[in-house]
Amino acid sequence: MTGGLPRGFRDILPTEARELHAIERTLMGAFAQYGYVPLEPPAVELAEGAVTVDERRMLRFLDRDGRLLALRPDMTTAVARVVAQRYRDANAALRLAYFTPIFREEASMRGSEREYDQAGVELIGDATLRADAEVIALLADALARCGLLAADIDVGHVGFVDGFIAELPAEARQAAGAAAHAGDLVSAIGAARAAGLSADRIAALERGFRYRSTDLADARAGAPAASLRALDTLDTLGPLLEAAGVGGAIRFDLGLIPALPYYTGVVFQVTVPDLGSAIAAGGRYDGLLARFGADRPATGFGIAIPHLHQALVAAGWQAPADSPLLLLAPDGGDGAMTLQVAAALRAAGIAVAIGDVAERAGQDVRRARVVDDAHVEYDGVVRALEAVIAVLTREGRR
Amino acid sequence: MRGFRIALAQGMLLPETRVALAAAGLATDALADGGRRLVVPATDVEYILGRPADVPTHVAHGAADVGIVGKDVLLESDADVLELVDLGYGRCRFVVAAPAGSVDRSLDEYRHLGSLEVATKYPRVAERHFARRGIQVEIIKLSGSVELAPQVGLADWIVDLVSTGRTLAENHLAIVEEIAVCTARLIANRVSYARERERIAALASTLEAWAAAR
Repeated sequence: MTGGLPRGFRDILPTEARELHAIERTLMGAFAQYGYVPLEPPAVELAEGAVTVDERRMLRFLDRDGRLLALRPDMTTAVARVVAQRYRDANAALRLAYFTPIFREEASMRGSEREYDQAGVELIGDATLRADAEVIALLADALARCGLLAADIDVGHVGFVDGFIAELPAEARQAAGAAAHAGDLVSAIGAARAAGLSADRIAALERGFRYRSTDLADARAGAPAASLRALDTLDTLGPLLEAAGVGGAIRFDLGLIPALPYYTGVVFQVTVPDLGSAIAAGGRYDGLLARFGADRPATGFGIAIPHLHQALVAAGWQAPADSPLLLLAPDGGDGAMTLQVAAALRAAGIAVAIGDVAERAGQDVRRARVVDDAHVEYDGVVRALEAVIAVLTREGRR
Repeated sequence: MRGFRIALAQGMLLPETRVALAAAGLATDALADGGRRLVVPATDVEYILGRPADVPTHVAHGAADVGIVGKDVLLESDADVLELVDLGYGRCRFVVAAPAGSVDRSLDEYRHLGSLEVATKYPRVAERHFARRGIQVEIIKLSGSVELAPQVGLADWIVDLVSTGRTLAENHLAIVEEIAVCTARLIANRVSYARERERIAALASTLEAWAAAR
């Protein structure tokens, strides 16, 4: 038999899988503590249903009915569908959390994975700035609980740049906006200049593209009214973030323009040193759910788990140790006594494997040998099961 | 944490890139000695010298914080990087060219056969251009000497990068239309642009002023 996998897919071996499970427990625990409940949509969606991802970035296939399906390209589409179908008339805010693989088509030879885990939350039905502050604070808290300490949080507002673009003649708006989202700031400025935007405005826009600071005072000169409103929003958000306990890590970044076009308000990303991609990103997307038939405000974020894992490992992180695994050497009999002793130990909360294990996945192990149905040899001494349980339980707690 | 890294395209752009970086106050002496080393440490920065087409890849993956490379390379690469400053030098043009005097004939053929064959080293640029124009073409990817393709009957037209147009003329090719004018760009990794904003924004402003004054 020849093995092998399609490019961009890989096996996650036990050591890494244990680490990812530890991250998942920590994140979902943090999300739950803020009232976010888990959502698990199917792995497959109708391909035409997705609006947040370019169709060329989806892994698509035909089923036997001739429908074009796609492996889940992101969670936002699924959340939007669930909200429109099941919670259309809910008045209270809906708080949803997930930790799940997503699938993206990637050109070959880019070194990119086509399947990776993403974790995140969506807060639906709350248009207040308090909601924006809540999700940013939750993101910072969840990452800190995972052990990520050196992270910076950049907070921007898409309304700042949009305010300038709205002043352009209609036919130039699309080109300038698309260039800004694609990161081509040269062409965005060029399109604005060609469309006749005044020199003052151009200078203010260029200053905005480069603006990153703890306050926004120097960003106001020359900006149009709509852009000033975006700055006012960020000015109001600042103290809310302070109150939520994340003031210190925040930088206002007007050059933060997400590649995805559907954001409508406050946006943010989390970065760490020496990693070329953001660990997490998110923001407000108030218009998106309306396209699915449920016009509700929404904000949320996604954490790229491979990047988070990479940053944690680079910082010397190790998965929190489980209690040690006891490798129980059988007695010479037919196995009945060994099975009985193992069952008694497990009933007391000890992890027991009979014989040996080929893959420990970085777990601590202890060894013991079955002597009779109430005794094992542990650490060179024959002891009663109760005594061994007491020793191992104490070690497990450390 | 590693030092600040600048990826530079070896070749035609390098001499003027050195002038630009020196004008921005960066140490560029180390870039002078024949360019055998590919990672060149200098005061405060580290240069990575690579083939032009690899510069966007270095920057997109964060192996370098910023880079200087031609817009022609960026158009063909599709890498996710920020383009911050038009540096103005290294000017060249993407053009569609056809054997002189045969444009009408090939358009006749297009109407007849419904498709043109276009040879190029830049398949993405060519494909995007003809898709935008609504002209159906078959792209033939070559690695060099594209201007020979019409002569030997490999293709009707070519898409190529020209600076003076002399090579086209020598091969009896005429420009059908211009696709884009390309100059050198300062590019940045998205995360570096956030984390090293002060430094990169200052570099961008200085280089912009330098380019405008030339």
